Amino acid sequence: MTAAQRWCSAAWLVFVVASIAVVARTTFTTDISAFLPRSPTPEQRILVEQLREGVVSRLVLIGIEGGSPEALARASKQMAAELRKHETFVSVDNGDDAGSAGDREFLWRNRYLLSSAVTPERFSAPALRERLEENLRLLGSPAGTLVRRIVPSDPSGELLQILERFEGQARPATRDGVWFSRDNRRALLLAQTRAAGYDIDAQERSLALVRSAFAQAGAGDAKLLLSGPGVFSVNTRASIRHDAMRFSLIATALIAGLLLAIYRSPRLLGLGLLPIASGAVAGIAAVSLGFGAVHGITLGFGVTLIGECVDYAIYLFTQAAPGVAPQRALDRIWPTLRLGVLTSICGFSAMLFSGFSGLAQLGLFSITGLVVAVAVTRWVLPAWLPPRFTAPVVASIGPWVSAVVRRAPVLRYPLLLGVALVAVMLAAHKGPLWSGDLASLSPVSRADQMLDQQMRGDIGAPDVRFLVVIHAQEEETALQASEAIGETLRRASLAGLLDGYDSPADYFPSRQSQLARQKALPAAAELRANLGRALQGLPFRPQVFEPFFKDAAAAKRMPLIDRGSLQRTRFALRLDTLLVRRESGWVAMLPLRDVKDAAGVARDISAPTGARAVLLDLKHESDQLYRTYQAEALTYSLLGAAAIVLLLFATLRSPRRVFEVLAPLAAAVLVTTGALALSGYPLSIFHLVGLLLVVAVGSNYSLFFDRQAPSSGDRERTMVSLLFANATSVIGFGLLAFSKVPVLHDIGMTVATGTILTLAFSAILGRRDGLPARA
Amino acid sequence: MISGGSRTLLLLLLFATAAVAGEPAGWDITRLMQDLAQVKVAKGRFVERKYLGILTAPLESAGTLTYVAPSRLEKHTLTPRDESLVLEGDRLTIESPQTKRRRTLVLQDYPVIWMFVESIRSTLAGDLTLLQRFYEITLEGEERKWRLVLKPIDPKMQELISEIRIGGSRSRIDSIEFFESGGDRSVMTITRDVP
Repeated sequence: MTAAQRWCSAAWLVFVVASIAVVARTTFTTDISAFLPRSPTPEQRILVEQLREGVVSRLVLIGIEGGSPEALARASKQMAAELRKHETFVSVDNGDDAGSAGDREFLWRNRYLLSSAVTPERFSAPALRERLEENLRLLGSPAGTLVRRIVPSDPSGELLQILERFEGQARPATRDGVWFSRDNRRALLLAQTRAAGYDIDAQERSLALVRSAFAQAGAGDAKLLLSGPGVFSVNTRASIRHDAMRFSLIATALIAGLLLAIYRSPRLLGLGLLPIASGAVAGIAAVSLGFGAVHGITLGFGVTLIGECVDYAIYLFTQAAPGVAPQRALDRIWPTLRLGVLTSICGFSAMLFSGFSGLAQLGLFSITGLVVAVAVTRWVLPAWLPPRFTAPVVASIGPWVSAVVRRAPVLRYPLLLGVALVAVMLAAHKGPLWSGDLASLSPVSRADQMLDQQMRGDIGAPDVRFLVVIHAQEEETALQASEAIGETLRRASLAGLLDGYDSPADYFPSRQSQLARQKALPAAAELRANLGRALQGLPFRPQVFEPFFKDAAAAKRMPLIDRGSLQRTRFALRLDTLLVRRESGWVAMLPLRDVKDAAGVARDISAPTGARAVLLDLKHESDQLYRTYQAEALTYSLLGAAAIVLLLFATLRSPRRVFEVLAPLAAAVLVTTGALALSGYPLSIFHLVGLLLVVAVGSNYSLFFDRQAPSSGDRERTMVSLLFANATSVIGFGLLAFSKVPVLHDIGMTVATGTILTLAFSAILGRRDGLPARA
Repeated sequence: MISGGSRTLLLLLLFATAAVAGEPAGWDITRLMQDLAQVKVAKGRFVERKYLGILTAPLESAGTLTYVAPSRLEKHTLTPRDESLVLEGDRLTIESPQTKRRRTLVLQDYPVIWMFVESIRSTLAGDLTLLQRFYEITLEGEERKWRLVLKPIDPKMQELISEIRIGGSRSRIDSIEFFESGGDRSVMTITRDVP
């Protein structure tokens, strides 16, 4: 070992130790916001906030199934009782009376402050008369039994007025006093955690509590089903960890087995894995330093690096000619290897500039990993290699590989025809080739998404699509604006533009409205006189209305509703969702139900002074977000491709050679895209990243095919090294295709297919002769 | 292979069943329910009077009542205003042409309403099992003039209704009385519709 080599090894050791130190302190995240833009629009910020920490992100949907309805109902009650003991949960709902008694009490006590119908005219003699006549009709109807109990205290019908506002809200079905799915097969509970959805550790602890409460409930063979954003993040983290770990281990084992079979030397095996390990550690450390945290998906990507980085070592080991020092072989292939790495870097650097930190992380990780891996191969490995070695396998399969490669060009025209066919097919492709849905980015498996939708439907918590968002400095202003816009929406719903809406002011009216309603209630004597006149000629006994006079007098003096009054009701949770504090002031949200004419609704909405209001279409916003993301990824990929072309022109200095290097790559990318499109479901950004990887990995193959080999033996060794390199790539990426995490699956599938094709196409489209064509 | 003891038991059982079937009709609740279950379609006019503590005079309404076995019951009020209540399977639809309102409830979601309507429908259908799930039942009188007294078992139902009395003759119902826990009551008399 020379002094220079010793220095290199020492520097590498220091570097690796430093990287490991950084990795040890790294925080890992899995929240989807890493895949959202860094400079969002205000609407996108609301969307992202809702996804990260909104009340929606804190919901845990709990289902119990597989038992008699009676047993399931019992288990539901026991679980709810147990979970309510814990501070971890803000609320646990299963439809039993524990929650609704408080709600009823709140609405009843505050009916004169809550009812938007309370105006001075409401208590005039003619208006009261009209209400009494309506009450009389109701008493004769099926609702009579219930109305009879309310009339003496509430002849003007404020409670009914309030209840009608809530009527459109979906409610889950009930059986044996608790929530059930419509088919009675599943008991349902809804819990809200105190911790935000992105706090995965806290979510994990909450879920552990739910599981232990279920175990204690002794529901026999019944099964516990969990869903919701928190459940997703916990599961995703676990499955990314699990898949990344498992596939890394399997891939490493398989590749190690292959290397061992080829080189028959544990030492070479260890050395072959060195570039990968160094690259992976350095990649994670670089992302950690650059972004402050590493996303789980980036980490999951680590396994893909194994497939590529090991190639460098394989090129070095396999191309060493028998009896010649490995350093010589390295010197010979270095220009090609260097160009291959540069090409890959060009491809990935595109992602580095992306506005989405998730993509940028992938880019930085890959570039760092590749650079470190190739540097280790170039400057560290040779010093540790045995001075003279040769791989016996190369000699035995070399001639066979050469023969195949020599005959491959026969397929040139069939291939061109096939590529043309695929191009036509893609051009004529019906339906969207690319997925336009943000959900396709979600690391949640499709089966889990289905279960979530089903449980949401059953529990009556459907996804909200339209939302009026109001910004204001003060809470009071936000509430006043909610009331004004609520009035507009009420008129719009009468006109049939939408079905209904929910508003924070329904539970918590502005002080201004509450004071106005108190003032609208007439003084005791006047109210008695008005009601007396209204009762004339009606069959009501006048003396039964004493409770009304008492309640009205009390309402005139009672303290106004504040947030505290909502404690012990389920409206508190609702209010926390609908009225939120931000650094910039207050945000009120009015979810709309069943909007039929969004443009019409948007036209009518205008906020009073001091507030801003917009109609937000969450589906549109998230799709928009995704399209921006996709467009950006596509743009950067094309820029990357352009950079690769420029690089090749600059190095090879021959349009023909550039074409020869690029043709197999382009054909492989096209055919892979065609194959994926044929497989049915729309392509996601992860497929695009996969195609980028195909170019990054595959460019090495076509460059080596293009390289002018000094001798036929040398060329034969090159071909064998490419075959081995491809085998390892296919093992690494192909394994990922078995992952249930969509990102890993998509990338694995794309790259495994693409790299095999590139190798085959390089052979087919490569130079006909095995010997140097030019001097 | 049936052992000797089991065979004797089986024979005794067969004998007992045959004996019951062959016996002349002893009229009891099972028999009444069987008779009621025979009726596939029943139609009648009703007059309902509600005596409420908060009112000085009873509220009167009238209309038609139609039952189609096994699970459809329609109460169509004609006076004082048009309103219909249709119970079909597990759905209850309330419709009022005057206010143009229509509401459909799934009975399982509203247990109290379910118990309430089932008192009439299960009686008409002769479904003793379902009736006994919700009520404690006593039968008074004889086949020619009988009265079923139903007392709710569920505490929530008890808060509303203390007793339901259904009167009739043979397989025909002619009166239904609801006694509410607050002291109010309603009486519905049903006369057979002459087509």
